[in-house]
Order: sequence, then structure tokens, then C-alpha cells
Amino acid sequence: MSERQDQRLLEVNGLKKYFPIKRGFLRKTVGYVKAVDDVSLYVNEGETLGLVGESGCGKTTSGRCILRAIEPTEGEILFKDPNVGWVNVRELEEDALTSVRQHMQIIFQDPYSSLNPRMTLLQLVGEPLVINHGMKGKALEDRVAELLRAVGLRPEYLRRYPHAFSGGQRQRIGVARALALNPRFIVCDEPVSALDVSVQAQILNLLRELQEDFSLTYLFVAHDLSVVRHLADRVAVMYVGKLVEMGETGEIYPSPRHPYTEALMSAVPRPDPRAAKDRIVLEGEVADPANPPGGCYFHPRCRYAKPVCSVESPVLREITEAHFVSCHRAEELSLTGVA
Amino acid sequence: MVGNRTLLEVKSLRTYFPLDEGLVRAVDGADFKLVSGKTLGVVGESGCGKSVTAQSILRIVPRPGKIVEGELLFHRYSKEGDAFSMADVVDLAKLDPRGRDIRRIRGNEIAMVFQEPMTSLSPVHTMGNQIAEVILLHQKVSQAEARERTLDILHRVGMPKPSQTIDSYPFELSGGMRQRGMIAMALSCHPSLLIADEPTTALDVTTEAQILDLMRELQEELGMAIMYITHDLGVVAEMAELAVVMYLGKVVERADVDSLFYNPHHPYTKALLRSIPRITEDRRKWLEAIRGMVPDPYNMPSGCPFHPRCVSAQKQCEEVDPPWVEVEPEHWARCVLYADGTTETGQG
Repeated sequence: MSERQDQRLLEVNGLKKYFPIKRGFLRKTVGYVKAVDDVSLYVNEGETLGLVGESGCGKTTSGRCILRAIEPTEGEILFKDPNVGWVNVRELEEDALTSVRQHMQIIFQDPYSSLNPRMTLLQLVGEPLVINHGMKGKALEDRVAELLRAVGLRPEYLRRYPHAFSGGQRQRIGVARALALNPRFIVCDEPVSALDVSVQAQILNLLRELQEDFSLTYLFVAHDLSVVRHLADRVAVMYVGKLVEMGETGEIYPSPRHPYTEALMSAVPRPDPRAAKDRIVLEGEVADPANPPGGCYFHPRCRYAKPVCSVESPVLREITEAHFVSCHRAEELSLTGVA
Repeated sequence: MVGNRTLLEVKSLRTYFPLDEGLVRAVDGADFKLVSGKTLGVVGESGCGKSVTAQSILRIVPRPGKIVEGELLFHRYSKEGDAFSMADVVDLAKLDPRGRDIRRIRGNEIAMVFQEPMTSLSPVHTMGNQIAEVILLHQKVSQAEARERTLDILHRVGMPKPSQTIDSYPFELSGGMRQRGMIAMALSCHPSLLIADEPTTALDVTTEAQILDLMRELQEELGMAIMYITHDLGVVAEMAELAVVMYLGKVVERADVDSLFYNPHHPYTKALLRSIPRITEDRRKWLEAIRGMVPDPYNMPSGCPFHPRCVSAQKQCEEVDPPWVEVEPEHWARCVLYADGTTETGQG
């Protein structure tokens, strides 16, 4: 195994998830929605990889496929299990999967629908401990209290139900639950997008703090590019099921290499009335993943498109060290980023 | 269109909801002005009363909510050639919410674009019929003419293939197209005031950019005033000339956008501006979060509603209702720090 792979915790190769479109009385499959279409990425140990894109681009589906919360159609998901070493999560049987999943957890977007309203905090946060370690009684209570303290909630809240908490506090409960089994890797699926602006910062700080304290690795799925710049070491950008660019945050934001990344960043409204207002406004709509255009999926909206773009689909390639782009013209274009 | 005419003056508006759990002061002191051709951004977090303020103006506050105090002075003008002269002033707060007068204004002179186009459009009527309904209601035109105008307005809002989309149902359209349809409906009677309640919150950034551009273009063309409600400080900075910040039903600060962002006075505005991650800023270790959380509406703090979370809170903040002070010309803040009229600079 090469030195580069040594630092990695997760490596995804050629991940695909196709949802069948069924029509008619016999529910015949008439086509597929290619939600995730040949995505390859990796996450290094202890870092945060931001996975960004617009709704429907397959970022959430990718995150869930990695945990096998939904079954991927194709692909390889390699994870470095601290006990047994590299495993392909996609091929694991039930028992082995349960054991690997102790190290792979998820924090959900909506803290209102992801917590069972009929369970107390003790039950919610303690459930993984009961299932995996058979913990009970005082030991369980102590551990849950410890977790609650770690996420900034008072341990006296053990017997309360989620309805008694605000959005930000509920998200803390979700974080505590994800931490219960001492995972190494957490998929954060839009963890702050449902929260108020003044509470977002608290949760972002909490995630950063926990990452240090428990040496966690995050796959941070989000649509908010400002949040991702603040939190992520590296960024991966998706468009209609494909990965279009991946690289260091400090490199992609100031100098993107894919036209979609450029447009996406330019579209974000800046909280600065003196900022220049010459954004790139993309024409048209996001392509339909059930019926994508030929060639590069982005070409109908791309202002740099050439004839080749509508015929040949570009492959993701490494243009400079650890910077991957899938664009025919990546080398020749000079794109504008955000300073 | 030239000249900035005052269109709407909101004076100490208070809208309360007497609920079983207690009295909710959804809007508890809002003062601002809307001027033709300009955009006023209304910023705040959920529960701050920004949407209820809009509903109060249109008199569509859901029951049991009621305007208990305040004036909503709507100025009307008559146009002779290029000159406008003030025709009359109506206090919207005094009108019967179900009466004929307000119904003539609503959708005609004051129109609204809602946040979620899927839930605010009728699923069983075509886009065209819903827009034509507004035109037929407010203008003396025939069915055919109304359809003609609908087509025209759909063109204007940049709806792709208007001759087809006019007969489409909302579910057949994408989020961005639906929002264009909503805007078309709102603009179909050339309102002098457009209230946009988080019109792009449910949309993706690239679609949001399209809609924001469209609204700016239409404003330039039609010269209407826009009241733009949002929680996104970025959108306010891009769209608005003037802005008000609301917290728990109160307007806490009001200024032109530049001084609000570069010289904020109210501690809440300052804290809010410091707590947001910015796309132009490299990785920072910590964000300066605002401590605590937005209190629930039944347990409002006494005195200044922000005092439990405020870094500059003093003893008196627990008791005193902070005064509304003009801290600098045309820059107002509701905070005891400025009670004696001193104009400290907004650093902190």
C-alpha cells in the first residue's frame, strides 16, 4: 500500500446508485435515475471532506451509500477498520457490517424528524450502546451523561423527551448519539442547514471541538459553501450525480478549475454590501438525472463549452497534486474564485 | 421612474396572538418606511416576527392574531404625465381585513411572493389560470385579454416556453420556474409595493442568483418598492438599500445597508455579523457564536429581549424597555447603550 493510501481512512471507487423508474400496471422498469454515477473519492484520517452541490446532485445519496444505509448499485467502499484493517464495506455480511458501523456514524439534517419523540434522551443516545455493548443500568446512564456533557447538554436532561429542546439542542442530541460508540468516521449530512443563523455557529464550533478531542474524520455534506470553507480541509463538488472537482479547500476556493465550481461559488450572496456584484448567473436548469444530456452533463449551461463537451464525457483526472477535475478544458481555462 | 415617494409608513406596529398558552407578542414594535424603487431588507431569525409583519401589512394575519396597535399608512399617488402627486393616505391597520377596501389593495397595489411556491400555489389549477384570476379580479378585462396579459407577464419574468407553461400545473414545473410563476402573479397588476417573504430560501444557489437578478431587473423596470424578508445576510447585502434587523418581535436596528454592515450599533446585529462563516474567508478556528438560544415565545425575557444573550448587557437591561434612538442620521437602534444619545462607534 502506497504512502498516500496510508493516510486514508476511506476510499470510494466507482460508486453508483441507480434508482429504477417504474411505470405501468406491471411496474416495468423504463429507465434509471442515476443519483450517483461513478463517484470516486477519498477521505484522509482526521480531516474533513466537504461534499457540496445543489439539491438532487447526489451528495446525500453518496453519504448514505458509504454507510450502506442504502445499498449502492455498484462500486467499492474501502474503510480502514481500526481492528481488522481495510475492508470493503460493500461486500460485508450482516455481522461484519454491524461491527464496522460502530466506527462509521451519521448526523442527520433535520433534528426534528430524526429523533423519535417517544424516546427519552437516555434511550435515544443510549440505544447504540445497548445494541452493541449490551450496556444497562448505572453504566449506561453514566456513559450517556458523559456524552451529553461532551456535546454541551446538562446530564440532568437524561429523562426528558426531545420536544423539550430547541433545534440547536436537538442537533446536539443527534451528535451525542453519533458519538456513543466512539466512531472514527462521521457523515454529517447538512447538520446546520435547519438551524437558525445564531445557533449554526455554536454547532459548527462543537463539531470542530469534538473532531479534535476524539480525533474524528468527517464527510461533511452541505450546500452552504461558506460553511464548508470554514470547516473543510478538502472539498468535493458534485453535479448531477458526478464528481466534477475535488481538492484542497485553500486551493479550490481561490482558484477553481471546473466551470461549475466557479459558477457555484460566484452565485453565493456575500454578506458585504461593498462586494462586487458581477456574479455569473447560470442559464437554464439543472440537468435531469433520469435523462442527462450527452457528453459533459454541465455543457448546456457552461459558458466555456466547446463542441467536444457535448459529445465526450470528461473523466476525473488529477491535474495538479491532489487536485482532481473532470473538464475537457481544465488546463486552458483560467477561472475566477473567491479571494 | 424618478423620485422616491414614500409608499408605506409602518409606525409602532404591534400584532399579538392571544393563545391558550399565553399572549404571544409576534410583532412588538416595528417602525420603518418603504420607498418607491427601493428595497428594504428585513432580517431576522425564525420567530422574530418578520413574516407576521408582512402579514399585518396585507391584513392576512392568521387567527387569533390581531393588530393591537400602530399605524400602517399606505400612500397613494396619482400620475399626471411624469409627475406624481399624492392622492390619499389609507391606514391599512384600520381597514376591515375582510372588507372591500383591503381586497382592492391586496394583490393589486400590494402583492406578495411567498416562500414555498409549491404550497402557496393551487395544485389543481394551471399556472396561467391562477395568474389570470388575479388580473380578472382587479382589472376590467375580458378572459382573452387576461390570458394575453398572463402570457406577456410570463415572458417578462423569463419563464422558459411561456406558451406551454401557461397551461402547466405547478407540479410540472421546477422550483425556480414555480417561483417565476409566483413573481409573475404578484406583478400581474403592477403593484407599487411587492412583499417578498423568503422567496429564494427553498431554492438552490444558482437558481437563487437567477431569481435575485430577475427581481432587480423588474424593480428597475417597474419602479416598485420591495420589502424583502430573509434570514440570509448575504441576500440583504446584495438586494437591499435599506435594512431593518428584527429580534423577538422588535425592530432592533434600522439603517442603510452599508452602515448596517460596516457600522452596526445594536449588539445583536454586531454578534450576528460576527457569527456567520464567510465564503471569502479562509479556514478559521472558531466562529464567534452567540451564546444561548432564541427563547420560546411564551417565556420572553423581561426588559430587552436580547439581554440574556448579549455581551454588553447591563443590570438595567433586565428591567428597562430599551429606547428607540437615532444613533446617527437615519440610523436607528433600540438599545440602552445609546439611551443618552451618545454616538459611540460600532466597534466591539
